[in-house]
Amino acid sequence: MSAVAETFEPFLHPALFYAGEQEYLDGTVSFVRAGLAAGDPVAVAVPGENLDLIRTGLGADADAVRLLDMREAGRNPGRIIPGVLRAFADAQPHGRRVRIIGEPIWAGRTTTEYPACVQHEALINAAFRGRTVSILCPYDTRRLDPHVIADAYATHPTVIHAGTGTGAERDSRAYAPEDVVARYNEPLPPLLGMPSLALSLSFAADSLAPARHLATDEAARLGLTGTRLQDLALVTAELATNSVVHGGGSGTLRVWAEDGYVLCEVHDKGHLADPLAGRRPAARDQRGGRGLLMVNLVADLVRVHTDGEGTTVRCWFAR
Amino acid sequence: MSVRDQASSGAAEAVPALRVFPLTERNGLRVAGEVVLPTHLIWERALERAVREDEAVYFLELSALTFVDVVGTGALAAAAQQLDDGRRLVLHRPPPALSRVLDMFWPDLSAIEVSMS
Repeated sequence: MSAVAETFEPFLHPALFYAGEQEYLDGTVSFVRAGLAAGDPVAVAVPGENLDLIRTGLGADADAVRLLDMREAGRNPGRIIPGVLRAFADAQPHGRRVRIIGEPIWAGRTTTEYPACVQHEALINAAFRGRTVSILCPYDTRRLDPHVIADAYATHPTVIHAGTGTGAERDSRAYAPEDVVARYNEPLPPLLGMPSLALSLSFAADSLAPARHLATDEAARLGLTGTRLQDLALVTAELATNSVVHGGGSGTLRVWAEDGYVLCEVHDKGHLADPLAGRRPAARDQRGGRGLLMVNLVADLVRVHTDGEGTTVRCWFAR
Repeated sequence: MSVRDQASSGAAEAVPALRVFPLTERNGLRVAGEVVLPTHLIWERALERAVREDEAVYFLELSALTFVDVVGTGALAAAAQQLDDGRRLVLHRPPPALSRVLDMFWPDLSAIEVSMS
């Protein structure tokens, strides 16, 4: 249509659709070996069992690759761009194409986690636009729901079918990452069990400290200890302060338990307009701008719902 | 019910305080209370004093500091980065939240030394 559309985009972000171990190995090991042959830095962040497959498939070449278990490093999808992908890419010398295999969506991801996962996949495109980076995202077509595969066509500009033999990359005609971010910006699920059991309180500038103390005491009563309890205190302080400074001056805070997690949630009247907020790594000498990043780095899951009416941020901490 | 009991005890400290005292036995400050939004300015003023000093080592006695938020730890890291070469801040018994955030965002800040003894 226009000259802009023809501009060379150095960032490559294909989805790799695979069925079974052999197709997985064919698609991933060739990607790694092509990078190593070109002298490019390569990282692999996939679930542990798949990491073992790739490690075995690479043999001695595995030593030249940064290997990460995505179940740990990417447990909270909001942490993957700053803590895994850019943490690796930004540390590499300029002038080299950085290659990463990132598998953030696997069959065990829950319906609670999934909206955060698919929004993360969509936001990778904005986060890496213009950078000489390739991120290959494997999708298990045998074990993932058809709607997950359909979403992968919307979050990836190109797709590769590992089973077709040639491994050719084709444009995805369904590519629409902004639509995915908007579509999964959905109201957060209602509280499990009895909502009346949640600690719920309002706060404003003059009650930030007691709000944090009450939230932390309640989280301790629900079984959170040590560093996890400290993290919840930091997160509560950060989110509540954001509400006071950017979210209309006040908000509500809730703390409760579901299954193996303690959850804290802050709601205010603000609107979080920047979908990459909390997903950009902070430069060492940058003042401020680390609050939401810290939240993403320490929580086990972060879900956000934001619109003209207000913003809700809910965080999970394993107990 | 326990939550209500906590609410009443929490209300007493609705406005958190941050108090700063000069150390008598060495060059530095003792800081007590919480570094959060209402006390950021007091904390930043204390750190400016530390930066202005010209002794090689400046002590911050933090054992009575109970909490520092991310902005507060950021102000400490910025102060440490402004120190002249060879100068350093020694933090005595900082709260866990401060150590956690320092490790997360400034793991190799050589001008900050943490002492737990």
